[in-house]
Amino acid sequence: MSNFSVGFRTNGSIQVLDLKGELDAHTASELEAAIQKCRRENRCKIVVNGENLKYISSAGLGVFMAYIEELREQGGDIKIAALQPKVYNVFDLLGFPMLFDIVQTEEEAVARFQQNGEQPDEPA
Amino acid sequence: MQYVLLGTLWGVCYVLALGYHLLLWNTGEPAGLLVEGVYHVVVLTGYAAFWFLLSLLFRHRRSEPGRIFWTTLLLGGLYVLLGYLVTRIPPVGIVGFSMENALPLAPSVPFKVGLLALLKTTFAFILLLRFRELVLVKRTRSSQRNWNLMIGFMVLAALSGFMRSPREEVLLLQGLAIIPAVVFMVVNSFRLSWIVTLSFRAKMATSGMAFLLLILLIGLAGIDGSTEDGFELVPGAVRSMLYYSYPLAIFTGLAVYFGILYCTTAFLSLLFHLPTTSDFQRKAGEMATMHSLSHLVSQVFDSEKLFTTIAASPIDACSAQASWLALPDLEHGTLEPRIVAAHGMTPERIERLVDVQALFDEVRGSRAPLVLHQALADHRVDARAGDGLGSLLVVPLLARDQVLGALFATKEVTHGFEQDDVEAISVFAAQAALALDNARLFEEQLEKERLARELAIARAVQRKLLPQRLPVLPGMTLAASSVSALEVGGDYYDFARLDDHRLAVIVADVSGKGTSAAFYMAEMQGIFQSVSRLAPSPCDFLHHANVALASSLEKNVFISVVYGVLDLHTEEFVLARAGHCPAAVISLNGSARYLRSRGLGLGLDRGPLFRKMLAEERIRLQPGDVFVLYTDGIVESRNAAGEEYGYDRLLRVLAEHRHEDATDLHAALLDDLNTFLGEKEYDDDMTLVVLKWHGIRLDQPGPVTGERRAGRPAVEQPAAGEVSTG
Repeated sequence: MSNFSVGFRTNGSIQVLDLKGELDAHTASELEAAIQKCRRENRCKIVVNGENLKYISSAGLGVFMAYIEELREQGGDIKIAALQPKVYNVFDLLGFPMLFDIVQTEEEAVARFQQNGEQPDEPA
Repeated sequence: MQYVLLGTLWGVCYVLALGYHLLLWNTGEPAGLLVEGVYHVVVLTGYAAFWFLLSLLFRHRRSEPGRIFWTTLLLGGLYVLLGYLVTRIPPVGIVGFSMENALPLAPSVPFKVGLLALLKTTFAFILLLRFRELVLVKRTRSSQRNWNLMIGFMVLAALSGFMRSPREEVLLLQGLAIIPAVVFMVVNSFRLSWIVTLSFRAKMATSGMAFLLLILLIGLAGIDGSTEDGFELVPGAVRSMLYYSYPLAIFTGLAVYFGILYCTTAFLSLLFHLPTTSDFQRKAGEMATMHSLSHLVSQVFDSEKLFTTIAASPIDACSAQASWLALPDLEHGTLEPRIVAAHGMTPERIERLVDVQALFDEVRGSRAPLVLHQALADHRVDARAGDGLGSLLVVPLLARDQVLGALFATKEVTHGFEQDDVEAISVFAAQAALALDNARLFEEQLEKERLARELAIARAVQRKLLPQRLPVLPGMTLAASSVSALEVGGDYYDFARLDDHRLAVIVADVSGKGTSAAFYMAEMQGIFQSVSRLAPSPCDFLHHANVALASSLEKNVFISVVYGVLDLHTEEFVLARAGHCPAAVISLNGSARYLRSRGLGLGLDRGPLFRKMLAEERIRLQPGDVFVLYTDGIVESRNAAGEEYGYDRLLRVLAEHRHEDATDLHAALLDDLNTFLGEKEYDDDMTLVVLKWHGIRLDQPGPVTGERRAGRPAVEQPAAGEVSTG
């Protein structure tokens, strides 16, 4: 029934989560569980690869909000990469680019981590 | 260990007896009284050991009546065959002792007689032990006692013949000693309750075997076998036994006579029961069904009563002394069984004596009835002999492939539960499980209905939070609607008249769906109704709202808002957007665009960033301008093919219908949306607010201050309200 899945991958010291399918109120708990797992394993630097993410609802966005504060306190972050335009638009409408690093490619996201925990873009 | 001990004892005694007879033959003189006494004691001790050995061996041998009959018959046949072969040992025909001095007639006699005695006793003992199973079917305390008394009196009668010579006349006392044994033999011969539950074929077969066994036993008893010219299947066996050991001869003789009695009653009873078998079975089935159905069905609505009835059933059905019902404690979320009803014993006592959990786990695993014939010997029972826990039966309650619970029954006697008891209770357990399942479903349904009612109330309350009527403004038409995917939703729209020339409008969308979103929606309504009048500008309003919500919003919840103030005085519409879908504005000339000012959703940032990000958009009203505020449920609606309605289509349809007034435009857009969606259900909350400026200024005739009610906008035109789904 669920058409959403989270793939776990590491890119150097960075935890990469590959999101696939549709992230909505029903599937949000899966992403939540995935992030919690990362946190338990003390992998606080997370890149979310949204290449295969087809849809995100407000409940899905809520998952990022729920954990970002804690992860940043522990010296980590969530950076979001490779979103499809339509999905990016949802992030953008809500102003997520002000709160998260949202970049074009996974490499870029990883690179941002390597620039020593640079904070998200300040608004223009 | 016991086996070895008893076996050795018997073996030693047997060999000693043999030696005694050989010695007699050798000396040719009768033994002294003392030696003879010792001999008899030795023989009886040996055979007593032999009895206990066989008892141990046959302790757990329990089988259906037919099997008991044919195995006994087979054993009898074997005895006859072996006995006959023994008598063929040369010198043929001489198996006995001298009538005068009781000395063996030949050196082979001690061996022959020893063997014959062993064969006959084996047969007689096994006959008793096997028939015991039949007699004690549906055992009660008294039936067990009657059996024990019969064996006791048989032993007494046998012992009365101790040291008697077969040549003497039978004494009166000895004759009398047999009477009580015979009385109990007769009593026990009428314990035939195993017959009624047999099928027709089983009855036929068993009666045939009972008849054959009867003939065999009569042959063995040897009519007048104690005389030379009597008939006996094993010639001389009875007579030689008298010399070998008088008490043993009496005991085995009584055993054989009991066999004859029991086979006679069994045979006749079986014959008489033959014609009524099918009637009986149908009747029993009907009764069981009627009983259980009439009791259980009516109690589906009252769990406590249902539990009590189910728990009581083993007491009625198979005269159990105590019984109880254990169900997994679902209320506390554990699978640990809890005793919900008990009879004949208090739950506390049961918990103390029986490991209900372990027994329940076993039947949950096996899904089959479990019988502890000797409950005291089981490690899961911590009781003593006086606690009334001789045997224990556990039957799982199965419904829809699930173990709902288990029914426990106990009897004071060991081996108290026969196969048909187990079957009867199993049948009942199936009914009980169904009733339990129904009761549970019924409760679930009740709960569901209660929930549905509460949700309906929540829905009604939430609808009240939306404007019941739309404000009327000169030069403007308004239309608005909201529909929830679930009973309650997180969408909100509202209007507030700030003063006589300004109207505030809000469309908000709480992240997530359902009840939690509905609560925040209600909070948003409170904030809008109170803060909008105090805030000088949309940015101020959103800032205050963000601050107000910061303490109550969950981390993962945010609210996107578009908020605008329409000023008829300045003919301006000032909007600010907090993460919400951009409002659409369509001019009379057909130019259509989205007003995508900057702004974070409420709750995304609780510090200064939120305020910093906010920006207002100020639009000069032109006659014919249409403003459309909506939630993402509209643009993200997907049809069966998975296509989104989308921003482009929204703008295009609005542009097409821009000449119509707000109500018609609103309807046209929803029509188009429904056409697009086809039969598909809405899967998100959807809100649509349309404002159209027709261009009549405030200072022109016919101004507008409609009546105000309780701080609500002036009213006249009903809100478009809910749109129909589908």
